Amino acid sequence: MRIRLTLGLTDRPGTLLTALEKIAINGGNIISIIHNREQLTAGYVPVSLSVEFPSHENFERARAGIEASGIPVLSTESLERNIETVLIIGSMGVEKLRSVFEGRGEVISLSYGGGSRSPYIRILFSVPADYRESLLSSLELLAEENNCLVVREEF
Amino acid sequence: MIRCGIIGYGFLGTRLAQALTDYRPRGLLLTALANSKGYIFSRDGFDKQSLPRDLSTHRGFKQDTPLQLIEDGLLDLIVVLTPTNVYTGNPGLTYIREALRRGIDVVTADKGPLVVAYRELISTAKSAGASLLYEATVGGGIPVFSLARHSLRGDRIRSVRGILNGTTNYILTRMHFEGLPLDLALKEAQMMGLAERDPSLDLGGIDSACKVVILANALLGMDKRLDDVYVKGITQVTSDAVMAAKEMGMTIKLVGSIEGGHLYVAPRLVRLNHPLCVHGTLNAIQFRTEVMGELTLIGKGAGESTVSALLSDIEWIIDRRAVSRVGP
Repeated sequence: MRIRLTLGLTDRPGTLLTALEKIAINGGNIISIIHNREQLTAGYVPVSLSVEFPSHENFERARAGIEASGIPVLSTESLERNIETVLIIGSMGVEKLRSVFEGRGEVISLSYGGGSRSPYIRILFSVPADYRESLLSSLELLAEENNCLVVREEF
Repeated sequence: MIRCGIIGYGFLGTRLAQALTDYRPRGLLLTALANSKGYIFSRDGFDKQSLPRDLSTHRGFKQDTPLQLIEDGLLDLIVVLTPTNVYTGNPGLTYIREALRRGIDVVTADKGPLVVAYRELISTAKSAGASLLYEATVGGGIPVFSLARHSLRGDRIRSVRGILNGTTNYILTRMHFEGLPLDLALKEAQMMGLAERDPSLDLGGIDSACKVVILANALLGMDKRLDDVYVKGITQVTSDAVMAAKEMGMTIKLVGSIEGGHLYVAPRLVRLNHPLCVHGTLNAIQFRTEVMGELTLIGKGAGESTVSALLSDIEWIIDRRAVSRVGP
């Protein structure tokens, strides 16, 4: 999994190295480092790292290690995007569906099937990993209100 | 000699009695057979020839509650195969509670008592020095709990998911391969004896949810009840939707899962090459562990194969008692 970590480093030699060590011992592979020396805020220099971790647990351990060594983790963001399919069994208007995806995911294709007797909607969409659960939960809630069933993909 | 009684003399009870009298495990005597109407008891134990088809026609039949056998101290081990009530746990819960309180070992295939009172029963068993084993409650003959107890002892199970109900899996399989509508596939399953006359517990996902609760409590140390499971059954699944899944190289399966503290049972799109994509009445259970990673077990989830799980639990109790006699 690819994660963007923004750390608040003090302008002291060796601080970045400490953070990198915590990432390395937890299997993190650093893809890029952006060092914003001009954006010094509250005594910190924000440094953005894109890191590929073998699993979420490795990432959590690295984050805990960095924080334990006194370096604040200002933000984390998943850079992964999932592309997946969902089937909605039942009938639902496209406007309602659009409101669920707005700002969270992108519909790649949407098709209706089953006629009026047993309608279903097939949606292929992409969603940032961080928003996946909230998008699917909203979809399930909307389906419940419309007496439909959401069938998610099992990975 | 361990005096063993079977409470519940239906399909499983008769098959187990036959198996026990067939190969006669060393150190065990089958001394009592009981159903909801009464019981028969033999101090010397039953053999293959003396097993009755119908308990009530046996000349020694006593119209009484099986609790009497437990209270009179006539048994060292009971195998509880009572009909499942997932809301009260009874009648099995009453027998198991009383037996464990008295230090009598228990083997059960009845999910109800474990769904209703897992923690209480485990704690009663612990304080009385008795064993409570329930391999047959999940996945029929698949050795789920013994695998976790023995082979994965040094590892840590992080999540569990699976196809836990053979009836719904059979129905969904027929919908996938033959394009049958759900009601026809259900009728077929009922005619083959794979579905109950009232299939609501299976189709509504409740049976799978009970298994999810047992797995969560027994393997992941949780304290969950049926109300804690998000449950969606397969009643809304249409053959058109199953065909749409098929066009995409997937199928619809009823999946039960415990992940990050959340318990759910719901129809899911499963790729045809996914390890959980098993067909017919097969069950599949997948562990994700800290060290081993993914491990998937596949096997028959009900019927005759469940006897294998019961026999395994009984043998474990025989071994444990033999060890405790010798001393540590």
